[in-house]
Amino acid sequence: MRRWFPVVLGVAFVLLALYPLQATGYGIRVMLQLFMWIALAQSWNLISGLTGYVSFGHVAFFGMGAYTAGILIARADWPWLVACLAGGVAAMLFALLIGFPCLRLKGPYFAISMLGLNEVLRVVVSYWESLTGGGNGLSLPTLHASVPIYYAMGATAALVTALTFVIVTSRFGLRLMTIREDEVAAEAMGIDTFRYKLYAFLLSAVGPGIVGGLTARDQGYIEPISVFPLVTTITMIVMALFGGKGTIWGPVLGAVLLFTFQEIVWARYIYLHQLLFGAIIVAVVLLMPRGILGVLQQKYRLPRTI
Amino acid sequence: MIVTPTMLGQVVISGLLAGSLYAMVALGLGLIFGVMRVLNVAHGPLLMLGAYTTFWLFHWWGLNPYVSIVVSMPVLFIVGMVLQRVFVRRVVDAPELSSLLLTFGIGIALVNLAQLAFTSDLRSVEFLTGSFLVGPFAFSKARVIACGFAIAITTGAFLFLQKTRLGKALRAVSQSREVAQVCGIDVQKIHMIAFGMASALAAAGGSLVAVMVAIQPEMGQVYTFKSFLVIVLGGAGSYPGALLGGLLLGLVEQLSSLYLTTQVNEAVAYVLLVLVLLIRPTGILKGRAA
Repeated sequence: MRRWFPVVLGVAFVLLALYPLQATGYGIRVMLQLFMWIALAQSWNLISGLTGYVSFGHVAFFGMGAYTAGILIARADWPWLVACLAGGVAAMLFALLIGFPCLRLKGPYFAISMLGLNEVLRVVVSYWESLTGGGNGLSLPTLHASVPIYYAMGATAALVTALTFVIVTSRFGLRLMTIREDEVAAEAMGIDTFRYKLYAFLLSAVGPGIVGGLTARDQGYIEPISVFPLVTTITMIVMALFGGKGTIWGPVLGAVLLFTFQEIVWARYIYLHQLLFGAIIVAVVLLMPRGILGVLQQKYRLPRTI
Repeated sequence: MIVTPTMLGQVVISGLLAGSLYAMVALGLGLIFGVMRVLNVAHGPLLMLGAYTTFWLFHWWGLNPYVSIVVSMPVLFIVGMVLQRVFVRRVVDAPELSSLLLTFGIGIALVNLAQLAFTSDLRSVEFLTGSFLVGPFAFSKARVIACGFAIAITTGAFLFLQKTRLGKALRAVSQSREVAQVCGIDVQKIHMIAFGMASALAAAGGSLVAVMVAIQPEMGQVYTFKSFLVIVLGGAGSYPGALLGGLLLGLVEQLSSLYLTTQVNEAVAYVLLVLVLLIRPTGILKGRAA
C-alpha cells in the first residue's frame, strides 16, 4: 500500500488539475463544492478529531471568512484572492479572540459555547447593516472566474490535508492526541495543553475562513442565514466522522462519499432530504462511530498515518 | 426613549410570564442532562410535536387547547421513552459528540416527518385573544394562562422529584449512577422515565405556545437554543437552577427589547450565555462543574 499510494495520489492530482480543460460549468461547480467540504471537514478534524474538543459552531469561521472577503471585495475593491486570504486571517483572529476563554471549557460546555458564539456572530452580522448589508445580504460585483476559484479551492483543500499530515506525523500531533485521550495525564507529562489546543484551534479556523471567502466570491451573494447555518457544522462533522475522525484521509473519504451520495440520491428525493440526512447521522453515530478508516485501522494493521 | 416605571413594570411582568414557560421547557432538557449527561438537541422538535397534537385535536374535535395538554403530555412521554430505548440509550456513555449528533439527527428527521405529514403551512389555534387589563398594565390572556399552567406543571414535576420514591431514584441516578445502581435502582428504567418526562414537559410547552405563535415544523429549534441557554444560566444539572435561568432569560429578552431593539435580544441572550460560561461555568446556582 505504501508503494502505490503516492502514485494514486499523484495521478488524482494531475487529473483534477487537468479537469477544467474539458469540464462543463456544472462539473466545475460540483467539484468546487466537493473541495469546499473536504477543506471544512478536514479543518474540523484538526481541532475536534485530534484534541477531542467538539467545535459545534465551526461554521462561524466559514461565515467570518465569507463576510470579510465579501466586504473587502464589494466595498474596498480588493482582488478576490487576496480578500479570501484576508478572510482566512480574519477567521484566525476571531479564533484567537474566542479561543482564550472557550478552550478552558470542557466537554459539552465547549460545544455549547461555540454554538452560542456562532449565533452571536450571525446576529451581529444581521444587525450591522451599514457594513454587511444585514438580512438583505451582500452582493458582490459579477466576475466569471469559476476556473481560478476551482484551483484556489482545490489548493486550499489540499493544503489543509497536507497540514493535517504534517501535524499527525509530528510531536505536535502526538501532544494533541494525548490531550484527547487524557488531558490531565497530558498536563502531568508537562504538555502545556492550553497552548497546543489554541494552536490547533487557530489552524482549524484558517481553512474555513479561506473557503468561506472563496464560496462568497463564487456565489456572488451572501446572507447571514446562508453562511452561518448549524447544518453546515453538522455536515462537516458527519463527513469527518463517517470517514474516520482523527485520521488524515478520513475526512477526505467521508466528504467524497457523503457528497457523492448527496448529489446522486438527495437531489432525487428533495422532500426526504432531512429525513435521509438524519438517518445517515444516526446510522454513523450508532453503527460506526470510529468511521470507515477507524474500522479498517482496527481490523488490519494499518499505519497510524492514514 | 424615556422608560417610564409603568413600561418597566409591564416589561418585567411580561418577562416573567415568558420566563415561566422557558423554565418549564428547559427543566426537561436539564433533567436529561442531569440524569444522563446528554444534551438533547431534539428537545425543540419534541415541543413542536406537542404543539401539533394540540392543533389537530383543536382542528378535528374543537378540543380546548388547555385540555389537550392531558393528551399531548402522555403521548410525548411515550415518544420520549421510545427514543431513549431505541437510540439515546446507546450513546449515554459515549463522548458528547455522539449524543449531540444523534439527537440532532433525530431532531431533523422529526422535523422532516412533520413536514411530510402536516406540510409546512403555518397553522394557528385561534382560541384565546385579547388581554387582561390590570391597572395601567395589559397582559395577553394566553400568556397569563400559559404562565399559570407552566407554574402548575413545573410544581408538579418538582413535587414528583422531591416526594415520590421514583423521583428520588431519578435524583439519585443524576447524583451518581454507579451508587444508584448498587442501591438496586434500575438505571435503564430511570433513564427512560427521565427522557419521557422531559419530552412531556416539552410537549406541555408546545401545547401552551400553540395558542400564541404560528405552528410549523421548524418552530422548535429556537426553543432548543433557549433551553440550552436556560440550563447553562441556571447551572446545568441543577433543577431549581433551570427555573431561575428560565425567569432570567425571559427578563433579559424583554428588557433588552425595551432598551435596545428586538433584533439584538437574541444576541444579548447568547452573549449572556457565553459570559456565564466563562465567569461562572457552573451556572448561577451551582450545577455540575464544567
